Amino acid sequence: MTVTGMTHERLLELIAAYGAEPMGWPEDERDAARALLSADPGAYSQALTEARAVDAVLSLEDVPEPSAALTESILAAAPSVPQSRTGLLSGLAALMFPQGVRWPAGAALASLAMGLVGGYAYASTGIGYDQADSAYYSAFGFDSGDAWISLE
Amino acid sequence: MSGIGESDQIARAAGGDRAAQAALVNRNMPIVFRVAYRMLQDQAEAEDVTQETFLRAWKQLPDWQPKAKFSTWACTVALNLCRDRLRKKKPVLMDELPERVDTALRPEEALASRQGVEGIAEKIAALPERQREALTLCALEGMSNIEAAAAMDVGVRALESLLARARRSLRASLSAQMEGD
Repeated sequence: MTVTGMTHERLLELIAAYGAEPMGWPEDERDAARALLSADPGAYSQALTEARAVDAVLSLEDVPEPSAALTESILAAAPSVPQSRTGLLSGLAALMFPQGVRWPAGAALASLAMGLVGGYAYASTGIGYDQADSAYYSAFGFDSGDAWISLE
Repeated sequence: MSGIGESDQIARAAGGDRAAQAALVNRNMPIVFRVAYRMLQDQAEAEDVTQETFLRAWKQLPDWQPKAKFSTWACTVALNLCRDRLRKKKPVLMDELPERVDTALRPEEALASRQGVEGIAEKIAALPERQREALTLCALEGMSNIEAAAAMDVGVRALESLLARARRSLRASLSAQMEGD
């Protein structure tokens, strides 16, 4: 939200706190403060002069560079693997499927493949319905299904 | 960088992405170091604080909530670490000390020499702790008033009061030098 109302006192506060450079003033008050400053620059000349002296001193402030070893040591301590947390469900899943949750899906696929291969092999042996029935009836001591039926 | 971009980078860094980690360090480590150096005035101690700040960041990343920019969070941690060290060095709270006026250097000399630059650093270092924090974050690192206030855990009005007092002290220091010569 942009502040539209700017008072003489507030502009003096901004200069005292943030300095003479409008870019350093709070963004939401900047336009209103500039407008007031433009309307009556003489009213703020002393405050701006004093602020500029401090700004000039601050601009000379210098800080040494950190050593290259610092970056290396920080990165050396960085996590190398995801640090996932173990919740109740994920813990349970880990207990049930120690090979991972993808394992059950793989097992189901393998079962389907075995069924298809088995079915194909069964069909390719040429053992038809009659032969299977004969085997069944012979297990009970009959030559054929007809002998079985005649008993009924 | 903030918002989705920074959140995504933090998520990748937490997941072990070396490039994301390096980018996070390269972008934020210098400001953390500079803040720590201005508070402690010691390279080795500032580097220790910077390293500790990132060690905490690595632990924090998996639970990171993008409520604030990473740099704001990191500066908050660094400032707290600096305060701990300063209190161990000086049992008397810095904010209770009177504002000092250093008259050791002329402004003209300050503008002209390396010694002057060091003199300016000394003037900033002589400010009370909270004023130094405010000046460092806002005037020297260019943080917005809202970010700086968040990093210091104060309101914006309190921040402005600290800034104004810090500037007033520096101006008094400069005036005293000029009048003394």
